[in-house]
Amino acid sequence: MSAISLQAIKKSFGKTNVLAGIDLDIRDGEFLTLVGPSGCGKSTLLRILAGLEAPSSGSVMIGGKTVNAVRPADRNLAMVFQSYALYPHLTIAQNMMTPLRLRDLSFTERLPIIGPMLAREKYRKLQHQVQETAKVLRIDPLLDRKPGQLSGGQRQRAALGRAMVRKPIAFLMDEPLSNLDAALRIHMRSELAELHRSLGTTFVYVTHDQAEALTMSTRMAVMMDGHILQLGPPDEVYNNPNHIRVAEFVGSPKINLLPGELDTSGYVRFGDTVLSRISAPGSAISVTIGLRAEHLALVEPSDASALQGRVAYKENLGSDLFLHATMKDGAQRVVIRATPQEAATVSVGNDISFARKRGEAMVFGQDGNRIGLADIVPDSMSEVA
Amino acid sequence: MSDAKAHWWFVGPALILMFLILLMPIAIATVMSFTNYSLGNPGADWVGIDNYVKIFTRSTYAKMFGATFRYVFVVVPLSVGLGLGAALLINSTRRFGDFYKTIYFLPVMAALIAMAIVWEFALHPTIGIINSTLETGCGTFLESWDWYANGCERSFPLWLTDRDYAIWTVAFIGVWQGFGFNMVLYLAGLTSVPRELYHAAEMDGARTSWERFRLVTWPMLGPTTVFVVTITFIRSFQVFDTVEAFYPQGGGPSKSVYVMMFAIYEKAIQQNLMGIGAAITVVFLAFVMFLTIVQRWLVERRVHYA
Repeated sequence: MSAISLQAIKKSFGKTNVLAGIDLDIRDGEFLTLVGPSGCGKSTLLRILAGLEAPSSGSVMIGGKTVNAVRPADRNLAMVFQSYALYPHLTIAQNMMTPLRLRDLSFTERLPIIGPMLAREKYRKLQHQVQETAKVLRIDPLLDRKPGQLSGGQRQRAALGRAMVRKPIAFLMDEPLSNLDAALRIHMRSELAELHRSLGTTFVYVTHDQAEALTMSTRMAVMMDGHILQLGPPDEVYNNPNHIRVAEFVGSPKINLLPGELDTSGYVRFGDTVLSRISAPGSAISVTIGLRAEHLALVEPSDASALQGRVAYKENLGSDLFLHATMKDGAQRVVIRATPQEAATVSVGNDISFARKRGEAMVFGQDGNRIGLADIVPDSMSEVA
Repeated sequence: MSDAKAHWWFVGPALILMFLILLMPIAIATVMSFTNYSLGNPGADWVGIDNYVKIFTRSTYAKMFGATFRYVFVVVPLSVGLGLGAALLINSTRRFGDFYKTIYFLPVMAALIAMAIVWEFALHPTIGIINSTLETGCGTFLESWDWYANGCERSFPLWLTDRDYAIWTVAFIGVWQGFGFNMVLYLAGLTSVPRELYHAAEMDGARTSWERFRLVTWPMLGPTTVFVVTITFIRSFQVFDTVEAFYPQGGGPSKSVYVMMFAIYEKAIQQNLMGIGAAITVVFLAFVMFLTIVQRWLVERRVHYA
């Protein structure tokens, strides 16, 4: 009912094209994340949806109605800004009261002193609403303070409270966590996800942090240069990226990319190694093989399919260890995930052997698009390498 | 050791200068205000509070206070209000902003004494452009306004020499001259208002520009307003050059434009009555001090410094 749909949205500032025809359907009640590097147009798209910016062409629909000509105040969307944008001269309670005052009270009822006397009942109801919302966000002890007296996390909650208090049809969030310190950011991720679950309202969330997108969203849209490259649930985007730039952007540490060749019979080779799955036979081209760190494992040097490398850096995350290894005398660099036990004997400068886990490699063509691979039918299998 | 005295070398120069050029003149003026000292006299008699009694009892000084307060309470609200209005208008235009800024700032840059001569011509009862413009309106619907009809019948006011009009005319010139300065201060203040706050206000449902002004602009300009009002008050109390240019012979028609600065100048410099001049100066300082303190106290509680 309140589903939001963006159709062929284009936006250019002068000669710079920021959005190149975006089509996006946002389902009712989902947590949709727009993620991409800075300058990809994700914030602009959100602001077009909010109405703070007009699209150069295309239409914005909310609940089946085109709202291009409807001003932001009348779209009934709530926005949480990166800088929180709380009114610094008002207390938290007054900040949260503002959207209610402006929407639910008439001009005379908003007058100072006289207003509250005229509409005592209404004011009591609004104050009750503010109290309720504050309780949900656990900021009720802070209601009498001004934004300047709060910490970053508390301000963030207050901004959220101001958005929540009037039950909008969707929340728009523009990098709301990027001003918080790392620990709080991770904590707020789970809180936002929980909040989304309990409210059941549509969330449209903009971030440049792929981890936020992966952890919170129902679906995520990866944007680059004004295009949506891939839209889907986080699992799918992570495990099955359709473009090399999506694969590179999503996931930490970054996916390992190795140069390879696709031969005429459809086999993909990297040096002496040949992938077990094949693509449709065609002409021979050079391709890029993507392997995530967890798709590589340390093996004995005697292993037939082992690759050799030299450890350049050991990144210790406690539960996991990432070994950054150089191959072919530094021409190639890969990251391998290992458990602390496996990597206990490895130190920087050591030569190591590692192998890929079968069936995980992703192959991208020269244009960056994914090349589909299929398992070989068993009877035609012949050992090639 | 000498270490123990090092701090004197750091604070010493500032302390000495502050004492010599700020505190001592005020102290001397205060002492002098209790005497009948004249420049050139070998000594002076201690007259106690006589000078102050004169200031608060004689009708000349009552006129002085009257003229000063009329001027101040016309110029301050008008030039602050117009300054803010002009700043908001200029801020909202995309084109010609710099053009308007320059125009409104011109009177501030121009020497007021030179501008006074121009105004004197413009306001001249017979050859001045103002009254001759007003006369061309005679015989039209404007005559339904009694004041206008009277003007047509007899003559339009002698703006600068009629005691009912003189102080207001001078105050008008003060506003004309001063609001451009306030506009520039407000323009600077407006640039520091975060744009996101306007967007937040829009999302919160502030549909009219008045609502956005009340919710964002005015509160965010709080610190600027404190500064602008204080500085305008002080500048208005200090008005002197227009009065001196229009009425070199003492304070306008029946002393209706006898502002404090002019009184100090007339008593202490022209008539060489240092004692009474110093007393007016002290009263003047007290006023300015009082206003500044009241204002800081009043506004500081409500103003938010981000």
